Amino acid sequence: MEQSELLVRRIKEGTVIDHIDEGKGLQVLNALRIDGRDGSLITIALNVPSGKFKKKDIIKVENKFLKDDDTNKLAVIASKATINIIKDYKLVEKRRVSLPNEIDRIFRCSNPDCITNSNEHIESVMDVIDKEGRVLKCRYCSRVLDVNKLKYN
Amino acid sequence: MNEFYQKDIISIKDYNKEQLEKIFTATDKLIQLDPSTRREISKGKTMAYLFYEPSTRTRLSFDSAMASIGGNSLGISDISSSSTQKGESLADTVKIMSIYSDALVLRHPLDGSSRFAAEISSKPVINAGSGTEEHPTQAIQDLYTIRKEKKKIDGLKIGIVGDLKYGRTVYSLLYGLGNYDVDVHLISPESLKIRSDSVYEIKKRLSFTESTNIEEHIDDLDVLYVTRIQKERFPDEEEYLKVKGSYVVGLDLLQKMKDTAIILHPLPRLDEISPDIDGTKNAKYFEQAEYGKYTRAALLGLTLNENGF
Ligand SMILES: Nc1ncnc2c1ncn2[C@@H]1O[C@H](COP(=O)(O)OP(=O)(O)OP(=O)(O)O)[C@@H](O)[C@H]1O
Ligand SMILES: [Mg+2]
Ligand SMILES: [Zn+2]
Repeated sequence: MEQSELLVRRIKEGTVIDHIDEGKGLQVLNALRIDGRDGSLITIALNVPSGKFKKKDIIKVENKFLKDDDTNKLAVIASKATINIIKDYKLVEKRRVSLPNEIDRIFRCSNPDCITNSNEHIESVMDVIDKEGRVLKCRYCSRVLDVNKLKYN
Repeated sequence: MNEFYQKDIISIKDYNKEQLEKIFTATDKLIQLDPSTRREISKGKTMAYLFYEPSTRTRLSFDSAMASIGGNSLGISDISSSSTQKGESLADTVKIMSIYSDALVLRHPLDGSSRFAAEISSKPVINAGSGTEEHPTQAIQDLYTIRKEKKKIDGLKIGIVGDLKYGRTVYSLLYGLGNYDVDVHLISPESLKIRSDSVYEIKKRLSFTESTNIEEHIDDLDVLYVTRIQKERFPDEEEYLKVKGSYVVGLDLLQKMKDTAIILHPLPRLDEISPDIDGTKNAKYFEQAEYGKYTRAALLGLTLNENGF
């Protein structure tokens, strides 16, 4: 572990989201609704040198363990991120995020005329048609969605 | 057991070439039957229609199709006079209508509405136009017309002219043509080119050229598919007037076309095809309307009968 990544004190229990693409850190915070309102310790590091020429963002949150929806959002926003689970100051599990075949509820279809954006009682369903390229498609209106413009429900 | 039995008809993209050919063969067969035998196909069955957008033509085509195979139809074609106007959800309306019928025909302005309706309905749902992209029975009708009039679809050069941005029949037709080996030329004003968000899906299925000039490929085309400029989809009148009438197919244009070329139109037309064309052997849009009745009758017959007809 590089010393430069431990600028702030270690967390006892929680999650370290590492290797977030440079510039996506704040978007991840927003999507995962990590706002610190519950009083737990949150450390955010942006533009951390990583490798020779690259930079990354890192988020460390105490007392938070990601649910499936969070992991899916993360996979869409920052496909190279890793999730590190910390228990009693120790790293107990490391996972890479990966896109599922289907993402329900969490994103809003960007087509304003889609039935999922109407008053009907219906939730969004998106098929991941290309995991590498992160291409999502609305199951209802078939619109291919730009992952960088997706809004969260 | 026929594979279309009790199946929803939501998107032309759900059909491969083999399935389309089965539908066409069934249509051929249906046309051959004498009317009284035909009326046995869906005797005692009921088709319900639910039209959230005005359309007399498609609705009547379904009506006459159902009548020709001996079935009944009922429904709501003027949604402003119904309970949905009082705020009933599409889901509730669909649930009720599916109780009254054996199949439900839906037209709705929102994209994805028929897929949603199909999840709710206990009876098969037939999409009669949803949002701006899907009108599968129109595409089947169009493909059938080409196949019938040209004896094949593979190998043809097909020009599609007019409003390619808002015309949903165009998208369904393009997706349908994606099953065949065809050269497609898209001709439209700059402001009415096909939408960029659909290009990805269309390019996966077929290659096409785009042009603003109808003369460019005209002498080469086997099929010229003309569409109406959809006034109701324009944000303002001025924009509409700018492009209206930019492509009128008249006798002068017809002279530049192959002798054997056919001209199609999903109808209703405004002034994009001159009435002078109607009497020529190239005009096939009224035949197209008739085939629409038979393809829909065949689809209904296949959907409603376990063993086909
Ligand atoms: N107790 C802790 N409190 C805060 N951060 C921690 C703690 N333990 C580990 N981390 C952070 O978790 C991340 C993963 O730790 P690890 O020791 O696996 O680093 P690594 O070997 O560089 O991992 P990788 O190969 O994923 O880059 C690092 O960013 C590290 O700073
Ligand atoms: Mg590291
Ligand atoms: Zn959608």
